[in-house]
Amino acid sequence: MQALVIDDSRAMRAILTRLMMGLGFDVVQAGDGAEALALLEGGLMPDIALVDWNMPVMDGLTFVKSCRARAYLRGITLMMVTTESEQNQIVRALAAGAHEYVIKPFTDEVIAEKLAFLGLVVAA
Amino acid sequence: MEAIDEIVAEFLVESHENLDQLDADLLALERTPRSRDLLGSVFRTIHTIKGTSGFLAFHRLEQLTHWGENLLSQLRDDKIALNDQRTNALLSMVDAVRGMLGEIERTGVEGDADHTELANLLVSLMDDGDVRQAPLIPEQATRKSSPDAVDDALKIQASGHSGEARRSVVESYVRVDVELLDTLMRMVGELVLSRNQLVSELEDQKDTALARSAQRLSLVTSELQEQVMKTRMQPVDTIWSKLPRVVRDLSRQCGRQVRLQMEGRDTELDRSVLEAIKDPLTHLVRNAIDHGIEAPEVRVAAGKAPEGTLLLRAHHEAGQVHLEIVDDGAGIDPRMIAVKALERGLASVAELERMSPREVIQLIFLPGFSTARTVTNVSGRGVGMDVVKTRIERIGGSVDVISNQGTGSTFHLTIPLTLAIIPALTIGCAGRHYAIPQVSVLELVRLSGERGRGGIELISGTPVYRLRGTLLPLVRLDQQLGLVPVDSGGGFIVVLQAEQQRFGLVVDDVVDTQEIVVKPLGRHLKSLPIYAGATILGDGSVVLILDATTVARRAEVLASTAGAASTVALDEPITIDPVLVVELAGGRRAAIPLDMVTRLEEIPQASIEKVGGREVVQYRGHIMPMVRLATLLGAYGNDGEELDKVQLVVYTRGERSVGFAVDRIIDIATERPGSRSDIDDHALLGSVVVGERVVEVLDVQAAVLAADPVFYREG
Repeated sequence: MQALVIDDSRAMRAILTRLMMGLGFDVVQAGDGAEALALLEGGLMPDIALVDWNMPVMDGLTFVKSCRARAYLRGITLMMVTTESEQNQIVRALAAGAHEYVIKPFTDEVIAEKLAFLGLVVAA
Repeated sequence: MEAIDEIVAEFLVESHENLDQLDADLLALERTPRSRDLLGSVFRTIHTIKGTSGFLAFHRLEQLTHWGENLLSQLRDDKIALNDQRTNALLSMVDAVRGMLGEIERTGVEGDADHTELANLLVSLMDDGDVRQAPLIPEQATRKSSPDAVDDALKIQASGHSGEARRSVVESYVRVDVELLDTLMRMVGELVLSRNQLVSELEDQKDTALARSAQRLSLVTSELQEQVMKTRMQPVDTIWSKLPRVVRDLSRQCGRQVRLQMEGRDTELDRSVLEAIKDPLTHLVRNAIDHGIEAPEVRVAAGKAPEGTLLLRAHHEAGQVHLEIVDDGAGIDPRMIAVKALERGLASVAELERMSPREVIQLIFLPGFSTARTVTNVSGRGVGMDVVKTRIERIGGSVDVISNQGTGSTFHLTIPLTLAIIPALTIGCAGRHYAIPQVSVLELVRLSGERGRGGIELISGTPVYRLRGTLLPLVRLDQQLGLVPVDSGGGFIVVLQAEQQRFGLVVDDVVDTQEIVVKPLGRHLKSLPIYAGATILGDGSVVLILDATTVARRAEVLASTAGAASTVALDEPITIDPVLVVELAGGRRAAIPLDMVTRLEEIPQASIEKVGGREVVQYRGHIMPMVRLATLLGAYGNDGEELDKVQLVVYTRGERSVGFAVDRIIDIATERPGSRSDIDDHALLGSVVVGERVVEVLDVQAAVLAADPVFYREG
């Protein structure tokens, strides 16, 4: 299975990549919403995208909206990665079409739980 | 755990970069406090650090940035305005974060520094009320994460997962490990050496196909070298970007108002050069604020604007980078420098009196001048002006200062573009070869046979060469290196430049000019400053690279504060004439204007002949009239005692020469300006003060006529 990690922080991307790889995913990275969108439009079809909220160029919320606006991208699970100070934004994200959200810092157990809930079975 | 260390390393690198940007953003925000872009950028940086530190179990960092983030959130949402207090608090937070990052780098954990006060401040600044306590953010337990869980989560699974995360293809820049760049550079260096070797072996090659291939290889190697060197180039902004913060903090500390301007930020230098000048540059900036720019009231009283300007300028010129630190402050007072120099025993009263204001100011670069080492908060290291000079010179650069009282000072640094591959001149001396960096070489003079060797004159034991009218002090390389001289029947003078002065290095052969790869010296030779490194020539031989400045210093041909041939003051429009001081009979001295001296000879008494009441001497195949100055000027002493050698000062004009016989040649000196006074006396122009004595100046024309009455007549 494939995951798309979108975050403007290299360190954060590295952390999330390792975490997802540990769960059995192949990981592709993008530095902001626009990059991610370009990858998707270019044919990338990840099973799940971990989307950071705060990014330059195109932020997480805009990315989610753009994805949901394109029929061919609706199959991708969008998981917002947020901090608890942004909890009041969660409603907006879910309204815009995000499937799930996770509050950082989180562990692989947390992710696995959420993924299971979404119907994405992961390696033990 | 390998994996965690890598990520922590990435976190540290990224955070440091972001913090630097943050400093710049906060300072920019001071001037445009409502910029949404800047506020957004600052917010994001702190937000990112907070988020990531949570994952990496750096909870103190997480807490502090949490409060910073909250404050920034209020600012970003326009609920409060950015003022001085808030800016200072945020900058303090940045410093605290840097501190913790430093601890992490050193020890792997955040450390114990207590930031409660800062946290309280950040919280209380969130609104315009009173100081409040900063509550701790929720315990980990409720958030389902703990250090161990994170460890487990980040553990690399056994076997199976060799997959690499693919980078986005949209990036046009890549990050390359610095070590890799260094390795590349080293390998290109080896390639250049091999190329040199190949080219030298193919020199007589008749096979044109082979020669062409070799040429192609040579071209490609040069291009590769150029490009790889470019990878090492970074804009000077890399070190300049940290300065606005330094300037701001220091200005406040010293109670000054300083505006920092920078020109030529994208001027590029080699990485290692940048690293080397970082500290000296910071010191010069600090110096400009601390000692240069005056307090606002003082400035206003002097008719200047209360805000001082500190200008940094960088540009390329002739294969070097020129950096200027210009301030419009009070300038350097030569009198104060002189007083300090006297106090520290670095110069005597006599020496100081002889120096021009510009020369006096140069004294600040002497070791021991400033005993008050400034230990800064920012760099934490003590640096003095002499260290600045040494560090710059160590990399082959130079530093100079021009200062005008009341108007300001300019420190000028000249530094080489790169240290790794340089063009150099190979020379031979006493059967060995050495290399001299081309940047120091001004010109070459061939000394062949009589004319060549004869061009070298001795002035009180020091060999000099007359080069287009000026005298060039000479240094014999074999002597300096303690080698056994070899008679090469001539030799060369390599005119070198060191510390803005010229001197000539006498060598046996000049072999070639080529690009060489500078290899650092091994442990045992590193401490010899006369060698700047070593290289391997095309023929495989290893040669040492000479450092021109050290050679000159060792041979003492650079005019020091107590020097004999002092340099001409550049900011005084007074002509100082150099004179040759000679001794006549009875200890009487005379001064001959140096531009009237063609050469100095020592002739045996026996070769002097009397012809028709005059004395003449056989000189270079001609009969040269001469006159004894003692007789001419009426100096008496050593009566009847004839020395078997006579010192002759020769004056040549066109085809004719005359010789002035003296007892001893003392020295070359400069007369003290304005000290000439007229004497109504035969064959004397006047008297002049040279050093501490009064010396009579010879009327050369009269003396010439005394020797040869028809000298100036045609035919």
